[in-house]
Amino acid sequence: MSGLTLRNVSRQFDGLLAVGDVSLSVLPARVTGLIGPNGAGKTTLVNLISGLLRPTQGTIHLDDEDISSIEPADVARRGIARTFQTIRLLKEASVLDNVVAGFHCHERSSWLASLLGTPAARRETAELRERAAELLRQFNMLQYADQAAGNLSYGHQRRVEMMRALATAPRLLLLDEPVAGMNDREADALGEIFSRLAADGLAVLLIEHNMRFVMSLCQELHVLDAGRLIASGEPHAVRAEAAVVAAYLGG
Amino acid sequence: MIGFILGHLSLFELVLVSGVLAYSQYIVLRAGVFSMATAGFAALGAYTAALLAVRLGFPVWAGLFAAALIGAAAGLVLAWPLARLRGVFQAIATLAFVQIVMSFGLYWESLTGGALGLNGIPKLVHLGHLLVVLPIVLYVLRAVSRTGIGRAFDTIRQDETVAVSLGISVVRYQRLAFVLSGALGGLGGGLIAYRNYSLVPEDFGFPMLIAALSFVVLGGRNAVFGPLVGALILTLLPEVARPLADYRLAVNGVLMVLAIIYWPYGVVDTVILHWRQRKAVHARAVAEVTP
Amino acid sequence: MLAQQFLNGLVTGSTYALFALGFTLVFGVLHVLNLAHGAVFMVGAFAGLYSVTAVGLPLPLALLVAMLVGGLVSVAVDWLALRPLRRRGATEFAAIISSLGVAQVLMSAGQAVSQTQIMRFPFGTFPIVIYQFWGLRISLLQIVILLLSLVLALTLLLFLFRTDFGRQIRAVAISERTSSLLGIRPGLVYFQTFFISGALAGAAGVIIGLAFNSVHFLMGEPYLLRAFVVIVLGGLGSIGGALVGGLLLGLVQTFAVSYLSSSLSDAIIYSLLFGILLLRPSGLFGKLHIETRVVRA
Repeated sequence: MSGLTLRNVSRQFDGLLAVGDVSLSVLPARVTGLIGPNGAGKTTLVNLISGLLRPTQGTIHLDDEDISSIEPADVARRGIARTFQTIRLLKEASVLDNVVAGFHCHERSSWLASLLGTPAARRETAELRERAAELLRQFNMLQYADQAAGNLSYGHQRRVEMMRALATAPRLLLLDEPVAGMNDREADALGEIFSRLAADGLAVLLIEHNMRFVMSLCQELHVLDAGRLIASGEPHAVRAEAAVVAAYLGG
Repeated sequence: MIGFILGHLSLFELVLVSGVLAYSQYIVLRAGVFSMATAGFAALGAYTAALLAVRLGFPVWAGLFAAALIGAAAGLVLAWPLARLRGVFQAIATLAFVQIVMSFGLYWESLTGGALGLNGIPKLVHLGHLLVVLPIVLYVLRAVSRTGIGRAFDTIRQDETVAVSLGISVVRYQRLAFVLSGALGGLGGGLIAYRNYSLVPEDFGFPMLIAALSFVVLGGRNAVFGPLVGALILTLLPEVARPLADYRLAVNGVLMVLAIIYWPYGVVDTVILHWRQRKAVHARAVAEVTP
Repeated sequence: MLAQQFLNGLVTGSTYALFALGFTLVFGVLHVLNLAHGAVFMVGAFAGLYSVTAVGLPLPLALLVAMLVGGLVSVAVDWLALRPLRRRGATEFAAIISSLGVAQVLMSAGQAVSQTQIMRFPFGTFPIVIYQFWGLRISLLQIVILLLSLVLALTLLLFLFRTDFGRQIRAVAISERTSSLLGIRPGLVYFQTFFISGALAGAAGVIIGLAFNSVHFLMGEPYLLRAFVVIVLGGLGSIGGALVGGLLLGLVQTFAVSYLSSSLSDAIIYSLLFGILLLRPSGLFGKLHIETRVVRA
């Protein structure tokens, strides 16, 4: 299992180089961080990895499989789950239903079974709801199962997003600024979950602004600026290495 | 007395048939597809069923099945360019589709009888048939709601970006929605053909398009009973308030505007939402009291 | 003859363009498909007709009345049916539904007022003068249609690109949020957009009512559907696209009718629509990214 590998990935928009010659790896069982100032190209990189954009140069591999130019839904099915910078929950659906949605790529019932409402299809629905409930239990959110997702606090909504992403049973978890707007306590609680997931074998790519959070969590750190990687390696070394970088990040 | 009952019986049958059309509109909206093609599907289904019965002597269930099949095929054809495109394009193209089908009906005189339409269609569908068809339709839609297809539709409808990130192939599911809508629309058309003795192309134009939309908008786009309730209300309204009957179309229009502005979820969904909120409030109150 | 059909096609096309201009303007600025546009067009035609028959106004004045009425009705449509939706941030679906409902109401009103009769401008409203040159025939009416459409379109373009108001409209079309941060009041912009759109539709109503010698409550429908093809062909929200698309469609229509048959011409036009949607949904001047489902470039 080699995780996610980007080789010389570039993305141009009509002459504007959003991402230039980025090479990095996100290995399983560790948390890899990606930081950089606004406009550095982080979002573009996330969209490239999740398949919403195609690289103009370079390749993206997941466990040795080339995913550079496949449809985003296929990228998700291959095992890349992502969270979004602005929370994208189905606000009017219940928390449980939001998490159940994450099980889609593992559903086994055919369309015909679904149309006919076969016992097998209905059983699967019940199973999925149970599995979702189990996830909720693990995250201490079972009491919110039937509430509309939009009614939850910000911190709780982030957890729902996390559970939904985990429901897809991914190989790589792409976290796009997951603790933005949280206080330290909430962020640390979420951070613990990320560490636990990595310890269980998941590859985690964490895109963040919050330097303190990143430092405490990541085993490897990459710094992006104006579309290019300007530093990579062990977090403390990277932080010390570029004072310029620190100027951007402001600790 | 008999007249009173019979009069209301045909009204009841009309509600059932309208319900089928409403569900054709409902299923596409449920999947986030801005299709308004139902009237076009109905036209295709109606003429198919009528011609098969009149010229080839098809029995009722075979005719209805053929009508649904033609509708499904038309849905598949529409899905070819439209499943990939944004809602605006789907709206434009399906509105145009309804018009095209009507044009074909008007100009292909050898087949459809042109503006004079088809006459002498046997009345093959009676209340009994409707009481079989509608529960089947309801069953299928309920099944869809509670299993994988419904889940995928709901996710796509509420947030396509999320759907894609969860591995849902939006194009494939919207294609499915078009086909299902086509089948239901075609079926509705077949039912109309076998009840009305005659068909003209104008029956399947803007007024039907708006009617199907208004059933769903007023009744509800989420809960399975919504469209039927909408069909019930809008079919009964002109009967209950006689002066409204003459301005049926205008009333439909006004109700649609009011519903979408003030009751965007439609009658049934709004009621369900309120009921759920009251339950949640009640549960919270109980939780606060119990230690 | 080819050249004659070409000329006829341009005249027809200019009416399509005139109708489509207002339609695409509203879409470009508010991203809303105003399905009541056809009904406003009809109301304008009615207003122009009644100005001539009931009030006895001369044609140019009737045209102005039609434009004024069209503009006001269009603003009313927005105010009643679309503004409440903007207030609560509703989806584009809601706006389409709402405008459809209003269209239905307006058409029913038109039906009631006209008692489902087809009405005509009285004989002599416009002098029947025919010019011949280079073997081509063209009537004064056709010339006026061409000129009027051209003038109105140019006026719109001048307004949008050379005046402050126009600049504000274009700014809101690009980004409402940024514009309001810059101090532009979107409400005023929307008012102007709908007024202009309705005025153009009203003018088109009178022109077409004269050209085809019929004014009836359903006259908007075929034009609305042709406008769909025009704006998809030209590019959603593009003014230039509406012009070019309208003219092109007019040519296609005229040639199809004269060389094939009028019943097939409808089929051809809608096949054109489907073909465009399959191959190049952005149309001639549209931006590619706004219409495909997921950005994939």
